[in-house]
Amino acid sequence: MTVQLPVDTATLRAREKAIAEKYIGGTPWLMIAWGLGNFTLWLALWPLTLTGALPLWAGFIIACVCVTQSYLPSHDAQHDIIVPRSSRWHWLNELFGHIVIFPLGLPFRTARTTHLEHHRHANDPALDPDYNVHAPSAAAAIWKSLQNRQPRGAGSKRYGQILMALGTPDAKAAMIDAVLMNLFNLALLCGLAWSGYAIEAALLWWLPRQIAITYINFYLSWAPHHPATETGRYRETRAFRSIWGNIGSSGMQYHIIHHLYPNIRLNWTPAAFRELRPILEARGCELGGLKG
Amino acid sequence: MAIIRLLLTLQPLLFGLGFLAPLAVQIITRTGLTPPFGLTPMLAGLLVGGTLGAIANLRGSWI
Repeated sequence: MTVQLPVDTATLRAREKAIAEKYIGGTPWLMIAWGLGNFTLWLALWPLTLTGALPLWAGFIIACVCVTQSYLPSHDAQHDIIVPRSSRWHWLNELFGHIVIFPLGLPFRTARTTHLEHHRHANDPALDPDYNVHAPSAAAAIWKSLQNRQPRGAGSKRYGQILMALGTPDAKAAMIDAVLMNLFNLALLCGLAWSGYAIEAALLWWLPRQIAITYINFYLSWAPHHPATETGRYRETRAFRSIWGNIGSSGMQYHIIHHLYPNIRLNWTPAAFRELRPILEARGCELGGLKG
Repeated sequence: MAIIRLLLTLQPLLFGLGFLAPLAVQIITRTGLTPPFGLTPMLAGLLVGGTLGAIANLRGSWI
């Protein structure tokens, strides 16, 4: 069936908004269960492997998944999806955001402030905090992710530079959190290592974290914005088809919906995409042949 | 503030001595490897971790 679309942009926008609003609001129980379950599972890996109940190699594989999956529930909290700002229970949104991202070693307020700047300035070489992940090919993006996190790598400095330039109270808090978390992570790793748990710390936290950062840089930043040459509401990001499917790419095939309506919960973006698709086509969005 | 700046500047060296060194010691011990030149596992671990950390600190990169 062919959908007949009105041609004037005001009507298109009104229809787009009406569809999107159906997917906004409510309590995202799946994201809550994902965040808390994932964090609990990662924590449980420590006693399970230290007591020998779980082999360390199995713990390593599970830890890679847990650390990688610790970002997205917190990302929904960054957008106040867990509990909206207008609610008196909004502090639960903040608490959730702080807790569930812990395995990744990234402070919640740092993640939120830089991520909201990314939304404001996506693909802007000077202002997008995530611009450094962009590269001409998938292999180059993975290599760049590794280079960016080196002690004097461009990515290590960029968040700090952007937060300094912002200079808002939120940006200052994000800076302090980043420094303290950095030192706390180092102290915790060293403490575990000198207490005789260096191999466990390496395989349950340090190495999974490196793998997770590479995955997140690739699938959450590089792939949905590639080639990152355009800006503007309908061209700054895209839909794409991942060889690993929607679950394997952590829902990023539908990242265009997230940029258009950041307060739609992650697991509802595919349904929103299917309904909005004709409008996105009319707007000239890059949909990568993704049908739904 | 100066202490925090110093810690951040020396982070690769601290990571080398604080994490990589005991990691090397525990790998040597668990695998039963014998360090060369009669070195003890502890000394070998400190040499490996300290050297890698110092190089990363000077180069600004681990890779």
